Amino acid sequence: MACSKENKAFIHKYLDEELTLLEKKQFENHILTCGDCYEHLRELRKTVAIIQSTSHIEAPSSLTANVMKQLPKQSKSNKWKFWMKKHPFMITAATFFFVFIVSVASALSGENEEIVVQGDGQFIVDKERNVVVIPEGESISGDLLIRNGNIEISGEVLGDITVINGEHVMASTDQVSGDINEINQTMELIWYEMKSFFSDVVDLSDNESNAENQKED
Amino acid sequence: MDIIVRKIILEVKKGNQQAFAELMDLYKDKVYHIAYRMLGNVHEAQDVSQEAFLRAYTNIDSYDMNRKFSTWLFRIATNLAIDRIRKKKPDFHLEDQVAGTEDLTYYTQISADEELPEDQVVQLEMQEWIQQEVMQLPPKYRSAIILKYLQDLSLKEISEILNLPVATVKTRIHRGREALRKRLRNS
Repeated sequence: MACSKENKAFIHKYLDEELTLLEKKQFENHILTCGDCYEHLRELRKTVAIIQSTSHIEAPSSLTANVMKQLPKQSKSNKWKFWMKKHPFMITAATFFFVFIVSVASALSGENEEIVVQGDGQFIVDKERNVVVIPEGESISGDLLIRNGNIEISGEVLGDITVINGEHVMASTDQVSGDINEINQTMELIWYEMKSFFSDVVDLSDNESNAENQKED
Repeated sequence: MDIIVRKIILEVKKGNQQAFAELMDLYKDKVYHIAYRMLGNVHEAQDVSQEAFLRAYTNIDSYDMNRKFSTWLFRIATNLAIDRIRKKKPDFHLEDQVAGTEDLTYYTQISADEELPEDQVVQLEMQEWIQQEVMQLPPKYRSAIILKYLQDLSLKEISEILNLPVATVKTRIHRGREALRKRLRNS
């Protein structure tokens, strides 16, 4: 036997705890006597309990990857921005490298492209032709370094010759007892700088080991 | 939680896609759950979840930071699911065979928490049965019931997600509940 519509509406309100205290009291008294409403309420409670018993399911693991693949392409500058945030070390390295290149480039080009000569002995610097001339009969005892110019060798050089940003011209190979290096490219200069740096280091360690050996003696 | 979500969303708004992946990891299970309960099918559930996240990403600028993100996201997901139900072709069931396999049904593809084998069978039958019953509900009651009893959301949140007055949400929950009760009693 179905109960009144008002009481049926109360059942839902009762479940949702929306009845006033008085209504609640009245309804609770009602279900004590009305088997229909009591049964109805019991079934609804059971229904809710069953629905709530459903297990939570997990999304397939591929979901995130699939969506990420379909996202609109990030603009290049944006990508860089976030990449850089993630790799601060690379930025430091890049900055260092940039400074290094700039300093090497400025060393290569020299100040005002003026010819610079390092070495001991008699030589003539021809500024108009940008040439260093070692006249016949003269002899240079040490090493010679020429920047931003060429060298013409008629005399004798006992050490090494290094020419940066220039070429060498000579009468015959017998006149130079050491090596002749021409450095015209940035990379070559870097190589040269590194080589001389390492040879310095090796020299130093050699000296140290020599000194140690001497101590032992 | 809310502070973390806020931070991540701010990153996403700046265009950080990696942050969006983090956001997805926080919400994908819930979105997938809603979609699966609405559609009753793993493939469509995955489709709709992916689409929901894509839309969330492309429309992130229209998301109002003062409101709850989950409400906004669930709204997108339920709308997509309801659209999908409207367009739906003939029904298909979880116990249907997966195309190209011998004894795989779609049930075998739903991941659930590990349990003992016997428990699993009982649990699976129960789950299957509940899902079937939920699927029999008209979509408008179904969405209200899912959000209320499976996601434990407040009436206010549900009303925002479904874009309906709270009173309407209440009615739908009552009717959905009533319809389920009748079905469960007869079974």
